[in-house]
Amino acid sequence: MTEPRVHIVDDDEAMRDSLKWLLESSGLKVELYRSAEAFLQAWDNSFCGCLVLDVRMPGMNGLDLYERLRARASTLPVIFITGHGDVPMAVAALKKGAADFIEKPFNDQDMLRLVETCMKQDRAAAAKRAEDASVAQRLDRLTQREREVLGLIVGGKLNKQIADALGISIKTVEVHRSRVMEKMGAASVAELVQLVLKSQR
Amino acid sequence: MSPGDADSTAVQAKTSQGWQWMMPNIAVGAFILAMIALVWMLQKHEFDQQMATLARDVQWAEQTLRLHMQSDQEFLQELAHEAPIGQSGAANFQARATQYLAINPHLSNILWVDAGKIIRHAARLEAGDWSAGKSLAPKEPEHGFVAARDSGRPVYGNAHLNDLAGPSLELFVPINRGASFLGTMVAAYPVSGMLRHLVPAWFSEKYHLSFTGTGDQLLAESSGARPRDDGLNYSVNFDPPGNGMRLHVAAYRTEAGLAKTLPIVLIVGLSLLVAWSLWSLRNNLARRIRAEDALRAESNFRKAMEESMPTGMRAIDMHGRITYVNAAFCNMVGLAQEELIGATAPFPYWIPGDAAEQGRALQQALAGEAPRGGIESRFRRNDGDVFDVRIYEAPLVDSGGRQAGWMASIHDITEQRRARAELEISHQRFVTVLDGLDAAIYVADLEADEILFANKAFKNIYGYDTVGRNCWQVTSACHPDPARFMAHARRLAPHQTPRELHDTELQNTLNGHWYQLRERAIQWVDGRVVRMETATDITDRMNMEELNNQQLERLQQTSRLITMGEMASSLAHELNQPLAAIANYNMGCVNRLQANDYRPEELLAAMQKASAQAERAGKIIRRVRDFVKKSEPNRGAVGIAEVIEEVIGFAEIEARKAGVRISVSVPPELPATYADKIMIEQVVLNLVKNGIEAMHDTPRSERELAISARANGEDFIEVKVADRGHGVLAEQTEKLFAPFYTTKPEGMGMGLNICRSIIEFHQGRLWATANSGGGTVFSFTLPLHPR
Repeated sequence: MTEPRVHIVDDDEAMRDSLKWLLESSGLKVELYRSAEAFLQAWDNSFCGCLVLDVRMPGMNGLDLYERLRARASTLPVIFITGHGDVPMAVAALKKGAADFIEKPFNDQDMLRLVETCMKQDRAAAAKRAEDASVAQRLDRLTQREREVLGLIVGGKLNKQIADALGISIKTVEVHRSRVMEKMGAASVAELVQLVLKSQR
Repeated sequence: MSPGDADSTAVQAKTSQGWQWMMPNIAVGAFILAMIALVWMLQKHEFDQQMATLARDVQWAEQTLRLHMQSDQEFLQELAHEAPIGQSGAANFQARATQYLAINPHLSNILWVDAGKIIRHAARLEAGDWSAGKSLAPKEPEHGFVAARDSGRPVYGNAHLNDLAGPSLELFVPINRGASFLGTMVAAYPVSGMLRHLVPAWFSEKYHLSFTGTGDQLLAESSGARPRDDGLNYSVNFDPPGNGMRLHVAAYRTEAGLAKTLPIVLIVGLSLLVAWSLWSLRNNLARRIRAEDALRAESNFRKAMEESMPTGMRAIDMHGRITYVNAAFCNMVGLAQEELIGATAPFPYWIPGDAAEQGRALQQALAGEAPRGGIESRFRRNDGDVFDVRIYEAPLVDSGGRQAGWMASIHDITEQRRARAELEISHQRFVTVLDGLDAAIYVADLEADEILFANKAFKNIYGYDTVGRNCWQVTSACHPDPARFMAHARRLAPHQTPRELHDTELQNTLNGHWYQLRERAIQWVDGRVVRMETATDITDRMNMEELNNQQLERLQQTSRLITMGEMASSLAHELNQPLAAIANYNMGCVNRLQANDYRPEELLAAMQKASAQAERAGKIIRRVRDFVKKSEPNRGAVGIAEVIEEVIGFAEIEARKAGVRISVSVPPELPATYADKIMIEQVVLNLVKNGIEAMHDTPRSERELAISARANGEDFIEVKVADRGHGVLAEQTEKLFAPFYTTKPEGMGMGLNICRSIIEFHQGRLWATANSGGGTVFSFTLPLHPR
């Protein structure tokens, strides 16, 4: 996984340069792009951190770029910088799921906080995505019978009830149960239930 | 006789003249032809007679020749018969032949030739070749000899050239005794001798005779003098006796020529004389006819003149009796000619109460004391109307040079008097109208600048004693500079008037009013060229214009604000950019300083960048302030390139956001315009903004706005703003400029209207046309700055 960075897309050179100067003062790594097209060209799925995007730009504007990224299943959080009068645009962007917007001229502390929040979110999201991926992996290891048993366990059924329901002996249910617990890496039924719920969300 | 009658008569006269003249011409021609024929016939007759005479004479001459030769033949036959009688025969021959020769000189010799062709005896002893004992020369004589021997009859030899005697002819008579041939007697004829001796002298004088032999070879002729012409000649065959000989006779022309030609000459001469006299007679007559025509025309002309003349003519003799009146006079007094001619004073047209006065005037006229300028009088028409007349008297002189009376011309001057009165009234009307005008008018002489006429309005301004004074002094408070007149009025000829000299607006320094002054050169009543000035008070209009200008300015101000309002969002964005950048640089520095993690050069660079951004913000604000700032129109030299540059400074943010490329094409050598920079900037900005907005729906790659400028003629430049937008229908282009017309949802529709007002304020034009590649072109012109 690449290092998290703040990706800044703005057509105004002074704006780009000064933002970099500001963000770097907080120890953030900054990457600059002069246009939406330039960013799109450089982008791949491994980008992480956050994207600071000017709404009004010649050529492809901020909203267009955002749509494209979503179409490519990017999870990069996006902060829109809007000028005066662009608020309706920004609201539209938010409704589509952008992280936040900030109006020019902005308070630098607000900006820093916003960027840091986004970076954190991105990190958390990345971690969660990683965990989800491992639960799914564990579930994949279960046999058909084990999965049926797991379903009934999570449904709060007792061993006896499970044995009845599946038409097998209690002994067999217990074997399946211990294997499920083992395969899923759960120490308790409560933990198992949590894992299953997470995977289903 | 009416003029038409006269014409047709003249035509008739002309045609009958033609006929009249044809007869003598034909007669003279026929006469001359007859004369010529007669002469020719006479000539022919005489010629025929001469020919007859000639033929007769020739036959007679031929007969004579033949008779002589016949007798010679007979003589030789006699000799031949006697010949053979011994010695006595020879002596006899000698005697007889010699005697015969003596009386017949046309013979050159007589020979006795024996059968052996030896000449036995020759009558003329000394005759050369043909002496006794010699042989007869060969050829011709021999041929005759042989012929005579063979035939036994006398034979003529062929004519031949004898060496001694010229052409000659021989007669051979055979000497026969029984059947034996003893020889021949030969008579030699020199042909020329025949002509000399056998033809009488009178014949030779009258005719030229000649013999020709076979082949038309001339053998002999009577004389070397040949007739001058061969017209009268005759020839007969002289064969026999001469073989193949012909006798030619040609008459000498007798010198009766003069007698013969005289009549011809006389006839021709007289004919010419007749023709010439006929011609001159004709000329003479033609002259007379012309003169008559001219006289008739003149008389018709005079008659027509007299009848068409409105002037009455009346002649009186020395006793005061009317001898002549013309039609005009009859019309004038309403009386017929017959009623007037012969009348004596008091005349029927006199006014009864006025008779004594008129009688005195008549007596005065008869005495020759009528005033030269005529006298005015009053006549009464037959129907009772009285009218004014002016009478001029002139002596009437007859063809003998004696005065026969007086001719008076009478003019009806009632109309003149009325016209004069009307003129008076019209002059008053004219003065009333001129005085009623609120424009001040005066007319001044060009030489002395003296005021010749001034109307009341003028006098109200400058005083009532201005006429006659110097115009420049009088109008010193408000007069144009004559040096700026379009034409030098003093140099204008009367036919070049009326002519506009000057048209200007001036303020009167005394009363503060504004006047429109129009100077014109006109022709004055006395024919000279004068200057007329019309000063119209335009103070109200000037005030109104000023008001309008102020309104326009306010409107413009409003429009600028509207423009700014419409652009506020992009301007705010533009301003935010540097402000945000400054804040960023600043806080970046603060953060680093707080964290004590910095390098000074880094901070320095960031702060410099921040201050550059502050400057950028300041520029934007200044531009906005300049644009919105209310200011008086301030025209000066404005470079259009600069204007376009500034406008692009404003518009490029919006253009960039709208994805529009702006291209500019201004030639560097383009001269400056005379304009208010801010106003023109507003116009260009408005057009550029419109262009950008118009291309909203244009494909991104085609969004191009082209601004160009170029010279338009010598006094203007033309600026074009061409977009590639939706375009405007041709019939809507004019509507674009109407107030409150708009195609934009949020527009007020004032932009183009104000733009046009601004450009027109600058004496330019603003218009729209379709762009050939789609879209619209807005063009305007601006005057150049005077250098």
